[in-house]
Amino acid sequence: MGSWLDETLTWGNTLIFALWGIILLVLVLGFVTYAIYFERKVIGWMQLRIGPNRVGPLGLLQTVADITKLLIKEDTIPRKADRVLFILAPALAYVPAFGVLAVIPYTNELYFADINVGLLYYVALSGITTIAIVLGGWASNNKYALLGGMRSAAQMISYEVPLVISVVGVIMVSGTMNLRSIGEQQGDWFWQWNFLPQIIGFVVFIIAAVSELNRTPFDLPEAESELVAGYHVEYSGFRFAFFMLTEYVYVYAIAALTTVLFLGGWHAPLAFLDFVPGIIWFLLKFAFIVFFLFWLRATMPRIRIDQLMGMGWKVLLPLAILNVFITAVYLELFIKG
Amino acid sequence: MIRTEELLLNVGPQHPSTHGVFRIIVKLDGEVIKEAIPVMGYLHRGTEKLAENLNYTQIIPYTDRMDYVSAMTSNYVLCHAVETLMGLEIPERADFMRLIVMELQRVASHLVWWGTYLLDIGAMSPFLYAFRDREIIIDLFNELCGARLTYNYMRVGGVKWDAPEGWIDKVREFIPYMETKLVEYDNLVSGNEIFLARIKNVGQYDAQTAIDYGLSGANLRCTGVDWDLRKVKPYSLYNRFEFDVPLGKRGDCFDRYLIRLEEIRQSLRILKQAVEQFPSSGDTMGKVPRVIRPPAGEVYVSIESPRGEIGCHIVSKGKAEPYRLKFRRPSFVNLQILPKLLVGETMTNLITILGGIDIVVGEVDC
Amino acid sequence: MKGLLKGLGVTLKSMTAKKITTSYPDEPFVMPDRFRGIQHFIPDQCIVCNQCARVCPTECITLTGKPNPDPEKKGKVIETFDINFEICILCDLCTEVCPTEAIVMTNNFELASYSRDDLYMDINWLDSNNKNVRKDNNNIGAPQAGKGGAKKDV
Repeated sequence: MGSWLDETLTWGNTLIFALWGIILLVLVLGFVTYAIYFERKVIGWMQLRIGPNRVGPLGLLQTVADITKLLIKEDTIPRKADRVLFILAPALAYVPAFGVLAVIPYTNELYFADINVGLLYYVALSGITTIAIVLGGWASNNKYALLGGMRSAAQMISYEVPLVISVVGVIMVSGTMNLRSIGEQQGDWFWQWNFLPQIIGFVVFIIAAVSELNRTPFDLPEAESELVAGYHVEYSGFRFAFFMLTEYVYVYAIAALTTVLFLGGWHAPLAFLDFVPGIIWFLLKFAFIVFFLFWLRATMPRIRIDQLMGMGWKVLLPLAILNVFITAVYLELFIKG
Repeated sequence: MIRTEELLLNVGPQHPSTHGVFRIIVKLDGEVIKEAIPVMGYLHRGTEKLAENLNYTQIIPYTDRMDYVSAMTSNYVLCHAVETLMGLEIPERADFMRLIVMELQRVASHLVWWGTYLLDIGAMSPFLYAFRDREIIIDLFNELCGARLTYNYMRVGGVKWDAPEGWIDKVREFIPYMETKLVEYDNLVSGNEIFLARIKNVGQYDAQTAIDYGLSGANLRCTGVDWDLRKVKPYSLYNRFEFDVPLGKRGDCFDRYLIRLEEIRQSLRILKQAVEQFPSSGDTMGKVPRVIRPPAGEVYVSIESPRGEIGCHIVSKGKAEPYRLKFRRPSFVNLQILPKLLVGETMTNLITILGGIDIVVGEVDC
Repeated sequence: MKGLLKGLGVTLKSMTAKKITTSYPDEPFVMPDRFRGIQHFIPDQCIVCNQCARVCPTECITLTGKPNPDPEKKGKVIETFDINFEICILCDLCTEVCPTEAIVMTNNFELASYSRDDLYMDINWLDSNNKNVRKDNNNIGAPQAGKGGAKKDV
């Protein structure tokens, strides 16, 4: 894969790149379809229910049916809405969500873009989605949507900061922002992965990541029991589907990012297990994080907005900075010296 | 120039957390509530007026629909009022049946509250856990009186149905089951730090305020006022059983939460004693004239429903229909404190406080 | 953190616990005998005493009688009997007062329909609704007649 990226751009190469992009898109859509199915099943089981089981064998086609329904639904735009922004918002939310997937490496050989500031690219691009959510909330001309949009803006700003700072430790240890190198540098034993030496960073990262995803217990922008549906209350049909898609693509992205940054990427947890292909290990870790997110959703109540902000600025940010300091001191004393 | 505006927001009547068709108009500054005006009456059916043209037996199905989460206590308060007015004695077995169903109903009602409250706070699973266990009670009632929600079970002078065979044993089996489930509930929710942060010190008021607003039930006891009509003015057979009245200290949503969970435990305790002492035989219907015609006069009785003091005031002119019938509905009275509590709170706390008061809109609007 | 972890433990344990979902439309609910469902009406037993129509809290029962066609017998026989299930609350009072058990409850409860007009049930429909009829009607409100009367057993 890497060799292609270094070649000069010809028509043939462009076609191949585009093809790979489409393959990734299809894979991601497939992931989203079955992540939703899996989520509903897992939460159903945890709530003593069976979950979807009517459409297709074991309900496997349930999400397909739901998406079809969303796509053929009437597309309503409120009369008093800001039409241009209202239409723009779902697209603006989705594009960066798919864009960030470019930098995620799956194994040492399987990756799409080998950017030396991959992590920065991820963080920078994912910030755009916030703007889309605020836009959507504002353009809907609905008070609940506006409140949801405002909450989302406040939440994302206060959690983006600890999220970025929490990975600074990883960057310092690895000495690179290239996600592939970060993944590569973690060893073949699970205690050589970043999550143990960087335990503070890891915890802060997970909390901030769940918050970035707007998932329970941080699903305040949606908060169905207070704001009805928050920023997408006026959206219907495929525009709503785009917001949903964005959310699940980010689940994919965050799960992959956590795996690469902290859980050793494609490395086996024990060195003698490395006969199993790296991609399997990657997928296992990835699936575990996705499951963890669903598990959280089945258990947790929602946090309040002021507590959310308080936690972001007063707890997570100092912890993340502390982590940077500890890492710096450690590097200075033991590695450099 | 930068100018800020207050946002007038209609919460309800169609809103997921207003527990029915209840509406609050809030003036928001950002997310902070400046003013809240509750609007009620969307579910008003004129029960009290309708009752003036119905005889007493016919009113009983209407009381089912008042507090539809706890229909048995509403049934009881009407029958109890008529019986008091007529000076009727009801057989012991019927009294036991009434007490058992009322305590089961209290458990069921608090389970609904627990589940929906957690749903308001944002946790989805507790709702289904609570309904799993409530379903058992509902099935028991279904077996007893043929309906799952609107029981129409009690009659002036007794109860319509005696317990079917094995029913008491099923109640007996339910008690230890529910006790184990309560432990599960505590593990799932009561210690959850997010949950505690959400409800501790939210919607606080002191004992004097609570009394001034006429609050009752858990809303009053959370401030430490020891007022449970089952103890203070024992009706039915409550003076035969041992139970405690859980009290709070801080008067916040968390105390109300703890009190309701503890009340489930105490209800189970009463049930345990009641099934032990349950008379093996006896009538379930007292000697009642075929047409119930209470003497002219007035009567007010009040009992402890899961939501607080539910009262029934009958003015009788000696006819088969009441001249005037008035229900003191605890949900309605407890709701009066809401505008005061909401000022200065955030939008999120609105839901927490409203849920903590535990209203049933059928009862608020009557 | 401890509370959060405990909660996670409970949900994880529930994942393998017995599920409580029932496959209702596929498998019909079996209601207990006392269940109050749609009424079954037996015209032959009706003595047109009007008790059910009078006791109905929502006045959903309308009935008319005609003189008994058999001149040797006294009394009336039922001619029309309608229940409006838009407003019937299935409170059981009509079956409770019926002295001859001409109107009884069944365990059927599926009344959903696409039109409100379908909920207006006449004598023939109610007569043919004869499945799952309740065995024990316990008509405590009925006057001492037939096998009714204030029953003390059960």
